[in-house]
Amino acid sequence: MVACNGVVVIDVASADGELVRRAVGGNETAFDVLVRRHTPRMYRVALRIVGNPLDAEDALQDAWVSAWRALPHYRGESAVSTWLYRIVTNAALVLLRHRKPTLPLDAHCVSDRSRRSRFDAAPLDVVDERADPERDVIDSEQVDVALDAIASLELSQRVPLVLHELEGLTYEEVAEVLGVSVPALRSRLHRARVALLDRLKERQ
Amino acid sequence: MSADKNESPTGVDPRDDPRWRLVRAAARTPVPTPPGLLDRVLRSVNGLRGSLQGEPVVVQQARGRLRIGEHALALLCRHIAVRTARDIDGVHVWAVAIDPDGFEVLITVRYGVAAGDAADRLVRDVHHSLVGLVGTSLPVINVHIADVRQD
Repeated sequence: MVACNGVVVIDVASADGELVRRAVGGNETAFDVLVRRHTPRMYRVALRIVGNPLDAEDALQDAWVSAWRALPHYRGESAVSTWLYRIVTNAALVLLRHRKPTLPLDAHCVSDRSRRSRFDAAPLDVVDERADPERDVIDSEQVDVALDAIASLELSQRVPLVLHELEGLTYEEVAEVLGVSVPALRSRLHRARVALLDRLKERQ
Repeated sequence: MSADKNESPTGVDPRDDPRWRLVRAAARTPVPTPPGLLDRVLRSVNGLRGSLQGEPVVVQQARGRLRIGEHALALLCRHIAVRTARDIDGVHVWAVAIDPDGFEVLITVRYGVAAGDAADRLVRDVHHSLVGLVGTSLPVINVHIADVRQD
């Protein structure tokens, strides 16, 4: 943050905690920077949990409205990113609870291919630049098989699996997001992995 | 081999199965942020920060008056509009904003949907739901079609 001729300018590289502090103080620009910084990953989490882009966007918007309202209560006991993960996860779960039960969850799931065709033509190239021979042999259809299998898991397994295996959160971070102990999370994750592997075997 | 195997009571870790490479590939696959998503989120949040420049809605009840602040009412309106739109084929709520005239509900409609009819139904249903909750002293609800989707 920089003071320039009496005008406070928010540096887009400011730490999350500083942005939250500024936002609590009424600085709307600081909150906007947080939105721009965290929306892509929050959208990704919402999409992986709810399974389709429109519902994911609803969950994301609910999450940011909730975050804005909850700002005064943020105590800094967890990282801002963890706090936001918790908010968007809860928003996605609330949305799923209100979803009409006429369609099974699998039927809502949109594969990466159709999602890309809807929003843009981003290539499927993996982002991990490390040498990895798997990258060369796994095509987008196989990735869709994995995503469909994940989407078919019950929520108590899907959510921690999305956060840990897809988002790369640590056990401690996922446990904090879900409000469970680390041992309980490890046990739940193991069951989720076993269930997912069973689904993958069924699909191949 | 996976680094942490202690959560597996049998010692068998699904991550060691060759099929798990699909999960790792899924984790590496980028998820594009939909075009305009950031703007829609900011519009939604900023819209709720606005001001009706008026008094809270006051609902006369048997034992007194209930005052509902503009932000609470705007959040209620957004909640109802989003849920109502799910029952209207091809309509999706973009954002709900407070403006000087009342509430502005921005929507997208799928190409081919009768947008006017859909907007009318949305206003009617949202208004009806809000009246049922807070009485008749409601700000005006306007619907603005912000985009047409090709999905």
